[in-house]
Amino acid sequence: MKPPVFDYQDPASVEEALELLARHGAAAKVLAGGQSLMPLLNLRLARPEVVVDINRIDALDYLTEESGWLRVGARVRQRRLEREADVRRMVPLLAEAVRFVGHPQIRNRGTVCGSLAHADPAAELPAVAVAVGARLVARSRSGVREIPAEEFFTGPLTTALRPDELLAEARFPCTGPDWGWAFLEVSNRHGDYALCAVAAGVRAGDGRIQDARLAYAGAGPVPVRLREAEAALVEHSDLEEGIRAASAEARRVLQPDGDLHASSEFRRHLAAVLTARTVRLAWTRARTRSGGAHA
Amino acid sequence: MKIEGTETLHAPRDRVWALLDDPQALASCTPGMQELRPTGPDEFEAVLSIGIAAVRGTYKGKLRITERTPPERYAVQVEGSSGAGFVRAVGVLELEDQGAQTGVRWSGEVQVGGALTLGSRMIPGIARMLAGQFFQCLDRKLQEGSA
Repeated sequence: MKPPVFDYQDPASVEEALELLARHGAAAKVLAGGQSLMPLLNLRLARPEVVVDINRIDALDYLTEESGWLRVGARVRQRRLEREADVRRMVPLLAEAVRFVGHPQIRNRGTVCGSLAHADPAAELPAVAVAVGARLVARSRSGVREIPAEEFFTGPLTTALRPDELLAEARFPCTGPDWGWAFLEVSNRHGDYALCAVAAGVRAGDGRIQDARLAYAGAGPVPVRLREAEAALVEHSDLEEGIRAASAEARRVLQPDGDLHASSEFRRHLAAVLTARTVRLAWTRARTRSGGAHA
Repeated sequence: MKIEGTETLHAPRDRVWALLDDPQALASCTPGMQELRPTGPDEFEAVLSIGIAAVRGTYKGKLRITERTPPERYAVQVEGSSGAGFVRAVGVLELEDQGAQTGVRWSGEVQVGGALTLGSRMIPGIARMLAGQFFQCLDRKLQEGSA
């Protein structure tokens, strides 16, 4: 199919893009990598009046470290997360999770911020953002604001971004020395949206888990961080007991919807199983990291 | 797809019922409702602009109240279509008297066709979000009314 008629704008600067968003508001849609928007346009599920293509804005193409944060500009393709050794060192969870996003062709084009702004509840990068406590930088003509990832995702395909705002940058905190992270998912075929995916992080100290992060994709209307399960990991001095308790919490608290691909019960089962697997993996990595960075 | 939920409205059941029984109040709280025209007893023609983010469509369709048992139970049937496909839904509301407030148990059965089926895994979540907005709006109206 072909898209409905729309007006196409390709500004060369952030200021021009913000001007367009201010003028057209909800009638405008930002085009970055186009890996979600183009299919939606071609199926005529999306009918924006104006498409604001940000691919000409070179100022948004940066991946840098600044005072303990990895800053990812809005034009950075997902592929860069898996190719750059710096990303693996600074935010290993990003480098690991991004390989589950679609296929290489999709990641060559799709952007990190685009995936976050699209806010598919089964997508990998939103769950990573919630797990590590990323901050999302929204710019509009009236200013800049930073939104914590947990407040950014408000519903399926729905975010805290206002219609005149551009998600200009995503900031991921660099991993601390005693932390280990892991990301696993189950999908029908590799590259499909996750039936369930889990991002886990643990901080090791004195032979046990001192702190933990658990976030889930495909398990609700938004990526969910599960503090109850995190607390279970920290409370138990025995690793396997903690894992059992955390998995049980995941199964109890999460309420994924069932659909053609997987029932709600099966998704909850996956959440519990993947909780155990990711935490074990994260734990091993946290302990080897104390000696040096793992790749 | 079946979805269900519970809500609490902060007004006695009689007032909740009166509000639900008023098509204009109902229309003003239904997310995206642009037009609701009566075409017969308990039958309406509706124009809705529903959707989320860029995935938004204008649906023309019919809304029929299929059951009405004051002040406890209310059932509606909705059918609509747009360029992106069609939606058919049946919804039931049950009101429980809790004194100064009212408990609402709602359930819906949603069917979609056409290109919309591609988004079917997200429809329960979207429906729940829209239902939440609907009940929040009703609750606001009820509280304004009692002030």
